[in-house]
Amino acid sequence: MTFRPGVRGLDRRAFLGLTGAVGVGAAVTACGGPIVTKNGSGTSSTIKPPDFSGVKPASKITFWTDNPGSSQQVTQQIIDKFTAQTKIQVELVTAGSNYDQIAQKFQTARVGGGVPDLIVLSDVWWFRYYLQGSIIPLDTALTAAGIDPDDYVPTFFNDYRYGGHQWAVPWARSTPLFYYNKNHWRTAGLPDRAPMTWEEFSEWAPRLQSVTGRTGAQHAFEYTSSVNTPAWVDQSMLWGEGAALSAADSFKLTIDAPEVVSVFQRIQDNIRVHKWAIMAGSNEANDFSAGAASATWGSTGSSVGIQKTATFEIGVGFLPGGSKVRQPVCPTGGAGLGIAAQSSPAKQLAAAKFIAYLTNAENTVTFGEATGYLPVRTKVDTAALRKANPLVGTPLEQLARTRSQDWARVFIPGADTAMTQSITQICNSGADVHKTLTQLQETVQGLYTRQVEPKIS
Amino acid sequence: MEATLPESGAVSGAPPRTRVARRTRSRSARDAWVFVACVAPNVALIIAFIYRPLISNIYYSTLNWSLGDRYATRVGFGNYVQFFTGSDAGTILGTTAIFTIATVGGSMIIGLALSLVLNQRLIGRGFARATVFAPYVLSGVGIGLVWTFIFDPTTGALSDILRGLGLSAPNWFGNPHLTLLMVIIVYVWKNLGYCAVIYLAALQAVPVDVLEAASIDGAGAWNRFWRVTLPLISPTTFFLLLTTILSSLQAFDLLYIISPQGYGTNTLMFATYYQAFQASQAGYSAAISTILFAILLIMTVIQMVLIERRVHYR
Repeated sequence: MTFRPGVRGLDRRAFLGLTGAVGVGAAVTACGGPIVTKNGSGTSSTIKPPDFSGVKPASKITFWTDNPGSSQQVTQQIIDKFTAQTKIQVELVTAGSNYDQIAQKFQTARVGGGVPDLIVLSDVWWFRYYLQGSIIPLDTALTAAGIDPDDYVPTFFNDYRYGGHQWAVPWARSTPLFYYNKNHWRTAGLPDRAPMTWEEFSEWAPRLQSVTGRTGAQHAFEYTSSVNTPAWVDQSMLWGEGAALSAADSFKLTIDAPEVVSVFQRIQDNIRVHKWAIMAGSNEANDFSAGAASATWGSTGSSVGIQKTATFEIGVGFLPGGSKVRQPVCPTGGAGLGIAAQSSPAKQLAAAKFIAYLTNAENTVTFGEATGYLPVRTKVDTAALRKANPLVGTPLEQLARTRSQDWARVFIPGADTAMTQSITQICNSGADVHKTLTQLQETVQGLYTRQVEPKIS
Repeated sequence: MEATLPESGAVSGAPPRTRVARRTRSRSARDAWVFVACVAPNVALIIAFIYRPLISNIYYSTLNWSLGDRYATRVGFGNYVQFFTGSDAGTILGTTAIFTIATVGGSMIIGLALSLVLNQRLIGRGFARATVFAPYVLSGVGIGLVWTFIFDPTTGALSDILRGLGLSAPNWFGNPHLTLLMVIIVYVWKNLGYCAVIYLAALQAVPVDVLEAASIDGAGAWNRFWRVTLPLISPTTFFLLLTTILSSLQAFDLLYIISPQGYGTNTLMFATYYQAFQASQAGYSAAISTILFAILLIMTVIQMVLIERRVHYR
């Protein structure tokens, strides 16, 4: 039997119903997506700091975090104390397991709805949010919440300044450290300290490699794995040689400069020619803890985990300097807190008050004790911190020698992952260093031209 | 000659043929509305969740848009031009082709071989069948994590075994070719159980009398398999080819867990994710996913039109 829907059955009521359905469908279709403009205008530079005069803080806010350093429990404890004091409820939402995941969810929520009021933002993500107009300038919020910017560690705080405004507040901040296995050091007859320069370590490394039969190590040193953003720490080696990924405080890229090529050539030679180093397969901190590498470098945030799992005496030191610059060669890293532009002023104010509490002198130490992250305030009592984490003294002293990262890595969307791929090619595939870095410069320049330049020009 | 219908009512006065015709039309109209009522919810869902995103995606592919940004600019076919003229196209399409061919071929060939073994009367056959199928129902994320530990060049189990044999452990994560090979091995391991089970069902449906007739005619084991069994299970082969190709082209979870930066594993599907969420180029990502959609569509049509002709349905 053939089925033929006839129009005769379509009466006025049915017609109106169908029209309504089509209308709803069309409306749904029209929802979402960006506003198309001629030049992509409408960035955060057009967003002014909110006026909080007469605004009362909301009674509940949402906080998206990836719980850096397994911090869920300690953060919840701080939240509970905050709620008891202020009656402001903070809903802690684990919105990802790392900074990238939380960023992806936040960007999707910006389009689809359901953004949080407060969000964790890493060093390579916050500027993207600024470009997208996703976060507010915090100047007035900080004043309204009674935050004194001078109380924060200057390099950490100033990492989030751009265009004359403050866009985030430091929270789970870290710096890289040089970790070494004291047993292996002793076996190789080395002094009990980290090397002062990479030149010095290149003399020590063959001695460490020559005793691997006795120490059980596979390599004298492990460079950062491709999973853990190697460009972050590699900047240190570049700065030591007077090089950088981009000129100071600018988007002028210098990725293919001869000094940069020279540094990466040395890294490649250490791996492929001298064979005393390797780029970690998945996690250099785990390999170091297992005794597979005599030394590595990594975040202070890893120090708690390393101490828990390692069965040997751990040594830590400042990152070694280069032949041209001894200090400062230590990049800052980790995450801060930003407030969503889509939130109401009342929620933004409540979020600012929570930031003030979460990062106050007492809580930043409590947080550091539990996670290994560094205190972000200057006027803190670090005694408890030093007791809880014997390795923390070195990064605390190193704080005075930190340097904000190159804009090429942290401000250009996607540049860090492009750098990771190129560094991996150089380290593991023996790719031509100059050619690879020239290609990388072109890629990053393209990302800048497409995504940053139209927004800031 | 058909009787003239009255304006309204007076059905009882109409001739019998007219009454029947009217009743039939009335039933047709009612059936039509029942059909619309049954189908409309599903069609609405398909429109809302398949076609609307598809059309939106094609529209976004014409924009220079950073995901999360409220503003974008129109670039026409600029994103497509960027893809095909840049260095991305060769790498991404090549990786996609190698991954798809290797995983589809590996899963189907090994799956068929396993199904032939599992079709024999063996001790513990049921357990063996369950074991072969088990990886398919496990979570891709869990499998990815476990194999990441196994392949770790420094502390992994495989590295320990190789070193124990006096061999050097390759850095699976550092060389793009090895990373791709590693992902292919894990993907085939996970999915061959599916092919084996489907092939096993097909093998059990092959008529024994046909195989016996072939034996009586002097056909050996190889000839029976090649000339009788394989043609008779060709509809299954066609079905598996279609589903595994579509599944491999859309593979993501294992790739993301094993190589989160897409080093060596940058397929079209991964590049779609990477460009949108890592590089924040949502417009460019939409263009890549539109290309993936076009490839899937073309391959499905080719398979339906050309390959199906060679399938022997009984």
